[in-house]
Amino acid sequence: MPRSWVDAILAAGVVPASYVPDASVGRTDLEEFTGAEPVEDPELRVHSLAGAQPLAPAAVGFLDGIEQWRVVGYAGVTPIVRAYVAAAIRLRGADRRPRTVAEDADELAITRLDRLSAAVRGALEGTGVHVVEISADDAGQPARALPAARIEVQKARAALERRLAERRLEALGSDEWLVVDGVLSDSAALSAHPRALGVVKSHGAQYFAGPELERALTLPAVHRTSVFRPKRRGARREIHSWYLRLWPWEGNDLLYGLLRVEARAHPDTGALAPRISAWLVDERAPLATPDRRWDRLLYPIHDVETYLRARAPRDLIPYPASRLPRTGS
Amino acid sequence: MIDRRDPPPIGRVVATEQKPATPHQFHFWTANETTIGIGAIVRVEEQPGNPKGLPNGRGKGETGKVVYGVVTDGFAYSDLATPLHDVVGAEGDPARAAESPTVRQEIRLWTAAVLRQKPEEPLQPVPLGQVHVASDVDVAQALRMDTYLGGAEPTAIPVGLYTSGTLEAPVYLDADFLLGPEAAHLNISGVSGLATKTSAAEFLLGSIFQHFPTHKGRIAAVCFNVKGPDLCFLDQPGALEDEDRRRYERLAVRAQPFERVRYYAPFKADGVNLNTLRTHPDLVGDVEPLVWGLREVLDYAEVLLNRDDIDAKADAFIDFLSDRVVDKDFDDGFGGAHRVVTFADLERLFRSIFDGLELGGGRGDTWRTHHIATIRKVRNRLSNISTRAKGLVTDDGPSNDLPWGRFEDRAVYVVDVANVDPLGQDLVFARVVSKLREHLERRDLGVDAVVVFVDELNKYAPADGPETYVKKMLLDISERGRYLGLVLFGAEQFRSQVHRRVVGNAGTIMFGRMDSDELATPGYQVLSPATKIKLATLPIGELMVRHPHFTQPIFVRFPRPAVLRGRDGVERFPPAADLPFEDAVVRQLVKLDRRVRPNLVKDLIADRREEDVRRALAYTRQTRPQDAFAHFKKQLGGRVAAVPAAARETVAPLNPISDDPY
Repeated sequence: MPRSWVDAILAAGVVPASYVPDASVGRTDLEEFTGAEPVEDPELRVHSLAGAQPLAPAAVGFLDGIEQWRVVGYAGVTPIVRAYVAAAIRLRGADRRPRTVAEDADELAITRLDRLSAAVRGALEGTGVHVVEISADDAGQPARALPAARIEVQKARAALERRLAERRLEALGSDEWLVVDGVLSDSAALSAHPRALGVVKSHGAQYFAGPELERALTLPAVHRTSVFRPKRRGARREIHSWYLRLWPWEGNDLLYGLLRVEARAHPDTGALAPRISAWLVDERAPLATPDRRWDRLLYPIHDVETYLRARAPRDLIPYPASRLPRTGS
Repeated sequence: MIDRRDPPPIGRVVATEQKPATPHQFHFWTANETTIGIGAIVRVEEQPGNPKGLPNGRGKGETGKVVYGVVTDGFAYSDLATPLHDVVGAEGDPARAAESPTVRQEIRLWTAAVLRQKPEEPLQPVPLGQVHVASDVDVAQALRMDTYLGGAEPTAIPVGLYTSGTLEAPVYLDADFLLGPEAAHLNISGVSGLATKTSAAEFLLGSIFQHFPTHKGRIAAVCFNVKGPDLCFLDQPGALEDEDRRRYERLAVRAQPFERVRYYAPFKADGVNLNTLRTHPDLVGDVEPLVWGLREVLDYAEVLLNRDDIDAKADAFIDFLSDRVVDKDFDDGFGGAHRVVTFADLERLFRSIFDGLELGGGRGDTWRTHHIATIRKVRNRLSNISTRAKGLVTDDGPSNDLPWGRFEDRAVYVVDVANVDPLGQDLVFARVVSKLREHLERRDLGVDAVVVFVDELNKYAPADGPETYVKKMLLDISERGRYLGLVLFGAEQFRSQVHRRVVGNAGTIMFGRMDSDELATPGYQVLSPATKIKLATLPIGELMVRHPHFTQPIFVRFPRPAVLRGRDGVERFPPAADLPFEDAVVRQLVKLDRRVRPNLVKDLIADRREEDVRRALAYTRQTRPQDAFAHFKKQLGGRVAAVPAAARETVAPLNPISDDPY
């Protein structure tokens, strides 16, 4: 979408601004202890992947999304945020080259309409841009407004990804899998599909404590844990999950090379866990460098992200000197 | 002639701060699987007001600037940050690196040099538009060939086919810039043995003869065959493959040998067998002997003198001989009357001068203001040429030369000096080219333009070495020949070893496969590394061409010439063994008159001096009478009994003053 709505609100009296928050590191897992129930073993155990035959689907779709946003103006102290979210699925077939099979993007304005002057509000509404409002409490304090805006951006991105994934599931081939960057449990369709996988890189949520936690976090390279069922939280659907270590953590940190895999809650998942894990270990190559999360980031997911960033509006990317005071000219 | 298909886009221009697009260069990417490569011509179209870069429905030319470029370099890289990451990903096993489930993102990035922008003004950086493979029409536009391909008087000469993938487009040179008067001369460089330099010259000559516009007049070519049988079979059809015929058809050039070829070769030392490899009985009949006498040599005596010889005294004496003596009745001052026409006559004059000075009792050591040492030196050099180039230079008898004033349109005159002494080669080269120049200046050669093809140019016009007559003459042609219609087509292995003013004045330059060391010399600095690599690996039949209309070098492929290659010619027409003197004389007389009976000739020349027979034969050849035998017999004259040699006048020895040595 062209920047016309930004120009319109600036013309209506909004003070221009240029603030780009730190780049998103993607959706994070819940930062709390939730607990889990054993599925495969009575307690969490460590399984070697030696000898496991990797699953080799004929085609795999990889789904990821991006979000970019910046404050483009202030009406008083109320920020007006321009946000861009996008998601894509790139399908890898027999030639091992990912190709885009689905993508979507959305641009939104995030603010609090009743804090804007009538002229600005009219200008904003007149452009037809999708406006998302933050709460009145958050809008009154800039220190709270921006985190609130950020949450709205993340929600928009998650919704976009979910829509894209669910549309793709309807057309998923019989020997085609869909690998999602993040959790499956946001979507009923995803969490129930036999060939959908969620690959979680962040480990804010902890499902174990004591010796089981130690076993999970000190998992040796090319090993997995038993399959477990995370306890349900809110609207999240039931899924099966297990930890998988891609690279040796010794010499780095506990989370180095550690993934948590999500799949549907079904007896077959336990049987497939070794083959799925061996497949994901194979996905270590090529390395997803230069991304700093390369130890956990699968290259095809990195590829989707690269694709999306290449197609994102260029004016949302922070420019190194953009915050320097403007010269007199 | 021109295919007007419009090919689909194959890439997109990109520009970064590090690699910006400029008015003369741009970068673009393509799919990994692409048909383009180094040398490919592309078209860039500006697409204004279309943020998504999608086609906006407007046709070609309506969207703004169009830029044509030629690919000069290519890059491929992946998103791999460092090779170490590949090693880590494959766990140190190269075999595993190929088994990774996903192929890394790769890019094919190309650098192109701008050939032409339309509109040409204002000259701006190349727009970041779509890139298309050039079509026939684009190639014509890009190389500015549209200016001379059409119109009332087109001047286009097909030189080869530009190829890129499955696309093929004819490339033309502008006759005004290849053969004058705007620019002229062609220089061909390339390593030996890949049949490109000579083949290119032969094909281009054929193309010129078929496409040289009639409004520009008549044209001929003089080719010096300086090695082996290279140019000895230009009138014989060579073997062509279907691909060659297809290329001929695409270029609208008829695949046929030259229709009019005249061969000239000197005799061997015996004076009757021709010094050429075209001596097969089926072919030797149309080889004309090249025989020069004193007058022909004396005019170019400077060629014969080495650097140490060239002084004002020798020069003055040669001028004196040329102006006052040769072909004139002359009194030597010692009572002798001379008419010097041949080397033999000149030798008699020299003897007379030396004897006169010596018999004069020490009267002096000068003759007509010329010191005896100077006279001896000139005599030595002149007699030397008749020895070293025996067969080309005749001591006696008439000369036989190229048909000055009667040159035919679209004819090739091959002068075979491959087996001639280097000094003789220089003499032939200097005299033929000088005569061409003289006649072209007077506009009485018979044609309006002459292409002179010289191989091994580094030998005749070396970058270093002495300032020889031949080099000075080549420089003169290079710098002024285009005004006269005297066009030099030179070839050499190493361009860097040819005088820079000779190659620098060549309007059109062709490069075949080049030696890597040669490409490292300063003259090739303007070429990109990729272009140099391509030049170092060029296949047979492919050339890089520079022409005044082309702002960048272009690679073209040309069909093999439709003439018999030298090596094949020697196999198909093996040279005949040298004939005995009598048989050789018979053959030459039979060539003049088929009624001549060999036995009568052999009886006639039996016991006759070979010099007399050669002289009689030369006069007969020059006269070309209806009854060759009768004329030959008359020239040979009656048998004269040997006369004892007259006692030679000698200088009386000095009387010894005393027998006593002390």
